Amino acid sequence: MNVTKATRFGAIGIFLASAAYADGHMDAMTAEELLPLAQQEGAVTVYSFTSRIGRVEAAFEEAYPGIDLQGFDISSTEQIARLKAEAQAGVANADVIYISDVPVVLPELLETGIITPYVPPRVADRVPQEYQSPLLAQRLSTKVLMYNEAANPNGAPVDSLWDLTRDEWAARVIMVDPLQRGDYLDLMTEIVLRSDEMAQAYETEFGEAIMLDGAANAGEKFIMDLFDNDVILVSSTDDVNAAVGVIGQDNPPIGFTSYSDRRDNEDEGWALQVANSVVPAPGIIFPAILALSATPKNPAAARLVIDFLMGDETETGGPGLAPFYVAGDYVTRSDIPPHPDAVPLDEFAAWRIDPAETATIRAEIGDLILTLQ
Amino acid sequence: MSDGSISSQGRRVLFRQGTVLKIIVLALLTALIVLPLIRTVLFTLQPDTFVAWSDVLIGRLSTNLFYKPLANTLLIGVVVSTGCVLLGGFLAWLVVMTNVPYRRTIGVMATLPFMIPSFAAALAWGTLFRNDRIGGQVGWFQGLGFDVPNWLAWGIVPTLIVLTLHYFSLAFTIIAAALATVNSDLVEAAQIAGAKGRRILTGIILPVTTPALVAAGSLCFAGAVSNFATPALLGLPVRMQTLSTRLFGMIEVGQVGRGYVIGILLVLISGVFLWAGNRIVSGRRSYATITGKGGRAKRFDLRSARWPLFAIAMIILLASTVVPVIVLVASSFAPSSANLFSGWTTHYWIGTSNPSFAQGVPGIVYNADIVRALTVTLALGVAVAFTGMIVGLLASYTTARFREGWVSAAITQISFLPLLVPGIAFGAAYIAYLGAPIGPVPALYGTFALLVIAGTAYLLPFAVQTGRAVIQQVGGELEESARITGAGFVRRLAAITVPLAVRGLAAGGILIFVKIVRDLSLVVLLFTPTMPVLSVVAYRYASEGFGQFANAITVVILAISIAATLIANRLQAKSQPWLKD
Repeated sequence: MNVTKATRFGAIGIFLASAAYADGHMDAMTAEELLPLAQQEGAVTVYSFTSRIGRVEAAFEEAYPGIDLQGFDISSTEQIARLKAEAQAGVANADVIYISDVPVVLPELLETGIITPYVPPRVADRVPQEYQSPLLAQRLSTKVLMYNEAANPNGAPVDSLWDLTRDEWAARVIMVDPLQRGDYLDLMTEIVLRSDEMAQAYETEFGEAIMLDGAANAGEKFIMDLFDNDVILVSSTDDVNAAVGVIGQDNPPIGFTSYSDRRDNEDEGWALQVANSVVPAPGIIFPAILALSATPKNPAAARLVIDFLMGDETETGGPGLAPFYVAGDYVTRSDIPPHPDAVPLDEFAAWRIDPAETATIRAEIGDLILTLQ
Repeated sequence: MSDGSISSQGRRVLFRQGTVLKIIVLALLTALIVLPLIRTVLFTLQPDTFVAWSDVLIGRLSTNLFYKPLANTLLIGVVVSTGCVLLGGFLAWLVVMTNVPYRRTIGVMATLPFMIPSFAAALAWGTLFRNDRIGGQVGWFQGLGFDVPNWLAWGIVPTLIVLTLHYFSLAFTIIAAALATVNSDLVEAAQIAGAKGRRILTGIILPVTTPALVAAGSLCFAGAVSNFATPALLGLPVRMQTLSTRLFGMIEVGQVGRGYVIGILLVLISGVFLWAGNRIVSGRRSYATITGKGGRAKRFDLRSARWPLFAIAMIILLASTVVPVIVLVASSFAPSSANLFSGWTTHYWIGTSNPSFAQGVPGIVYNADIVRALTVTLALGVAVAFTGMIVGLLASYTTARFREGWVSAAITQISFLPLLVPGIAFGAAYIAYLGAPIGPVPALYGTFALLVIAGTAYLLPFAVQTGRAVIQQVGGELEESARITGAGFVRRLAAITVPLAVRGLAAGGILIFVKIVRDLSLVVLLFTPTMPVLSVVAYRYASEGFGQFANAITVVILAISIAATLIANRLQAKSQPWLKD
């Protein structure tokens, strides 16, 4: 411990002096050039918002023996709190940050200089520009309306989000409390940002123009009606999945969850399916970000990990991408074919969030929901 | 008394009043508890976060943000603490003062519910009583054909029941320790005077155990109002919020300012209640019950009520210990949470990594992370119990012997503070406090020392409260005579107070060990990759849908806690006359 600490203190001085130069230099290196430097570093720490980092760890260590990848599965919200606290303490434990919650990440981590963007040069020409800036998106994840396929073999039991405000769905719509999970607050925020579409869908559904009744717009009106209709709030997506998905229910509820949780249908005895035809949209699709710590202890190995997580040159990206090449996750690399079992991205009707836009009214929507509870 | 003279005479006067000791203890507690909290308060007073105060207290959001959760919180605090003192007191009375059958078994079982993490008990409740409100799997009773109403499945009623069944064993521990020291002289005198059992209970035993009853009620109140897991799991589906779930939600979505304001208000409100309790105790003159003379009184003969009372005790204890443990163990073997008692596999315990099962996570026996976390957790438990009891002894000794003056009152109040601070907020405050270097002290972020210091501060209320209940009962006359014969402070403490109070101190030490070993909220922010602890590892598995691994680890935590308690009971047996027949 003492040795480590002494080394660390000694290293900080040298490191600070050379960091800017070394980092800039490394950004242009290929994986082959990074490898010997990374092997010298010997280890790399990854904070990941998904447990699938466990499988990445095994695959990475097999691909690059001699580099110990320490993967830590920490929720996005917690990562943000932790990284801020660590920055305050002048400690940088993580080298690589794998995170969602981008509307919060941009102001709290990127603009404060806690994390820094990195795009491996190898894949730079195969990731659309919108997914490279301000931070590199590895894939797109979702929070969408899912229903029980076994109980509804002919497709989704609803065709409009406004259906969820009807009496027959009272106390039968489930989601995670938007005041406890950031991505659900993003979903609510997006509904408000898309108020014009919501107003249109209202007219289509009920055959008359929407009456706002004191709500500021159609999106807020929908949220108020949804809460009036006794929407059920739970604390995790797994609770939603189990409630909606368990096979053998006569009259299962419907709920907002991750499309990719469909991959657990077989293991868990669920029949989750996305209600993709719902108007105006079944939910949101948002990026999962890969970034470097602004002061990584293992700068070369960190870059190597991001390179690895962006997939290799085989058809579906090889072992680095394998845990994320599942139905319901959309890899951002343009040369990787879409997963055959999922709705293709261009047919997937979910709204693409604009994190900067979301950030502008997110807190306001949080307040609205607070008054409804 | 002191007129400001700086002569040696004056110094002795100061010392005799315990002023030096008081100042040292106050400084220690300030450094451990007050400074980190002040940082939190200062945070909310910054120009851009100050608006959070009006949002919480007077804005259009305040009803939902603060006042409704406040009402629920107070209801929980009052009902749970009352229930705990009644249940814990009843069981303690049975075990210590009566001839109820199987006293030993009742005594051991009554300490167990507190070792079961409250979230496990809440999950167990759901497994049994969950109705079809949120769809998916229904609970056992609904499955048997009963129509479980919403009020019994979700919300305030189950929260009250689960929390009472969780915290009553805390009350039991404290009250039993106090009852065991009731001086036989008093009871015998009453018996000779012809007083009946009820008269002795209300006239002697209740009055002399008042400090323990108030301490127990206070601890249960503070624990119940800051508990997060139970109201979060059972209240959310009917949108019941408490201040702690509100605080957590606010911090989760990045509204840290509002979260801290709610946290500060939670501290203040609980503080008012505890201050009132403290006033009741310090208004009385003396609670000394262990004096230089006296022995054990005869037990009350329950006669025909022996077995009925035994049955009542066992119903309470089975509901609070055996049932949740069975559910916990079963769910560490069941691959699908939907079918708790079928298709069992030992994979989650002893399976090797298999890519097609649980995403390749090996059973906990083969998982290097978990083995390392176990080592760190045990070391942390021992270290925090040790440092906690040292600081707790100093603080409780000081306030018990030198009760007068504002410094003592301040020590008492400060030592209570951490109870009212939700662990996650305390952890955040500590990272801000000791995370960065302070003068010559290096940044402690990510070190074992930070975990120990924060854990010691966070659990100090338990050390101080249990220590105080015991020390107040060690008569000052024994120490007085030692001082007359020339023994110094340390000598008196080591030769008289500690040996006489060792039972209460050990009980406090065990409480602390168990609490830190299964604590989640405090360490969830303090843990770092190099310092993993079991509860955080379990939490990470649970939040990623690997409930079985989480439950298996929880079973390990439970086993450690129960073993600790049993070993401690065995070590104490020689000095536990109330368990002898």
